[in-house]
Amino acid sequence: MKLIIGGYAQGKLTYVLGQDRQKTYRVLDGDCLRDGDALAEEAEKSVKNRETVIVNHFHLWVRNRLEAGGDPEREVEKFLDRFPDCVIICDEVGNGIVPVEAFERAYREQTGRMVIRLAKEAEKVVRVVCGIGQRIK
Amino acid sequence: MTVLMIGGSGSGKSACAEEYLLALSAGKKKYYLAAMQAYDEESRARIERHRKMRAGKDFITIEQPVRIQDAALYMEAGEKTALLECVSNLTANEMFAGGGRRTKEAVTEAVVNGIARLGEKLTHFVIVSNNVFEDGVVYDEATTAYICAMGRINQRLAAMADEVVEVVAGIPIMIKDGSDRR
Repeated sequence: MKLIIGGYAQGKLTYVLGQDRQKTYRVLDGDCLRDGDALAEEAEKSVKNRETVIVNHFHLWVRNRLEAGGDPEREVEKFLDRFPDCVIICDEVGNGIVPVEAFERAYREQTGRMVIRLAKEAEKVVRVVCGIGQRIK
Repeated sequence: MTVLMIGGSGSGKSACAEEYLLALSAGKKKYYLAAMQAYDEESRARIERHRKMRAGKDFITIEQPVRIQDAALYMEAGEKTALLECVSNLTANEMFAGGGRRTKEAVTEAVVNGIARLGEKLTHFVIVSNNVFEDGVVYDEATTAYICAMGRINQRLAAMADEVVEVVAGIPIMIKDGSDRR
């Protein structure tokens, strides 16, 4: 798994797609595939065509799963067991004032903790700033 | 050596800062300076999580929500090192303590001078600060003054520090190297 992290609108997906033009990708949007196993089900379609799975807007997927009362931490482990070669793209959401609302605080904290775990497991971690990738692992 | 460690919420900066101090402080006294005050269940849980992380690592904890230089009064003589967690709490406490509000200029001076004075007594000092700058939200006047003070404080601390490390996804990234020292 590769992890891509960076601020909003920094060109993270474009960066990933530009890395290896020989590959074909299946881009999954974490904001659209919000229900239960929707993400994994959509990713299954990549197997037949040998596409590389990209999970875009991972932070929104975490947010949606938390809102739905899911357990994103466990769900993502299961997902990675099945798709160990995927690319996960996540916004940096912790660089701001601590929000007043409890859910907003929990969402930021949980996303951060999950990203740390993903970074530990990842073969490569890239931070994207202004469309430029800086490999940090 | 003075190290400024900066990161967002849930970036893993605390764990990184601990590792740094442990690597620097072999055989020396280690103080953990806690600026966070427990005011509700959530802050108590956060303090407890940090306490568990430090367990068995021989830290002596000093709770010092304001006037960080006063932490020296509770330290023993001899070589010592400290980890300050964190500047964002210290700054908020200095700004809003007692229900009032001090100006960003006064708060900047209080925090920076307090840290500098305390730093003179320490062999190694790891200072944890927070990136509160990049959420793109326009806040009320008080919060804006706080963010502004934090920005100035971070800049002054970074200028003082031998090393500045940014933590992203639990990974330390050196943004000011010790070799830059003038």
